Amino acid sequence: MPKIHIWKYLLLLWMTVVLVAAFLIRVPDIPILHETSRNLFFHVPMWFTMTVVFGAGLVFSIRYLAGSNMRMDALAESATLIGILFGICGLLTGSLWARFTWGTWWTFAEPKMNLSAMAMMIYVAYFILRSAFDDPEKRAKVAAVYNVFAATTVPFLLYVVPRQLPSLHPGADGNPAFSDLTAPELRLVFYPAVIGFIGLAAWIIQLRYRYLMLRNRTEIETAN
Amino acid sequence: MNLIFTFIVAIFMMVADTLGTAYGDEWQGVQGAEQGNLIMQAMASNNLIFVVLGVSLIIWFVLIAYLFRLEKKLNDLEKKIPE
Repeated sequence: MPKIHIWKYLLLLWMTVVLVAAFLIRVPDIPILHETSRNLFFHVPMWFTMTVVFGAGLVFSIRYLAGSNMRMDALAESATLIGILFGICGLLTGSLWARFTWGTWWTFAEPKMNLSAMAMMIYVAYFILRSAFDDPEKRAKVAAVYNVFAATTVPFLLYVVPRQLPSLHPGADGNPAFSDLTAPELRLVFYPAVIGFIGLAAWIIQLRYRYLMLRNRTEIETAN
Repeated sequence: MNLIFTFIVAIFMMVADTLGTAYGDEWQGVQGAEQGNLIMQAMASNNLIFVVLGVSLIIWFVLIAYLFRLEKKLNDLEKKIPE
């Protein structure tokens, strides 16, 4: 049986260092942004993590379809749930950040905002679809097929389409991500933060997966 | 052993807030924070950004402690319930 692996302690140390560095690093005082440029270390990794986690969910779903292994279905379900969790964090932090830099909590003029919310809804539908089946095998199969569709929309909704449209959001049309807007030294904290949050997501996915497997073993039906 | 104890006390006295009472009858604002020991002075510097860092670290440590607890509980259950 798995013990608490050493990487979880490393993650604790890693993310603590990232957190401290995120607050202590000297950020350039950019008009409008000011100290909020530190949000780069928290808001953006939410979306990176969500994308990676949904990608992992796609792999698990395809592996389920290839071998009808219920463990793969549990992994895909866990990954999708945690992906949504990180996506919601991304939406909430983005909304708060927008309030103080764009002057609004939400705007329908902003493609990245709305399309990412749409991606969230597509993934919420994954769970609504799952809840419609009582037979675990049938539920797993239909959910896996749906997940393949859901995952293919993500690159378009979050990366391709927003870059073609005029937008305030960095990384969109005529508005570079952090190459010109911010200082290059921010990458020193940003990339470690991305790695740390992905590790954290992997841990939470593993916890949920093990919970699902235990639930299967005891055959106790509880609500999600 | 005594040396270690003395060392711990010395560290504690360096870090401890020297505010006379934990409870006060009125709001005193931030006055006095700059006169505290080195740690309190550092916390009060740079527009209080370290207070935000402290808050974030508290949240992070509480959450991670919960994850470790969950991990332990799952380990126990997995041992108890056979495949």
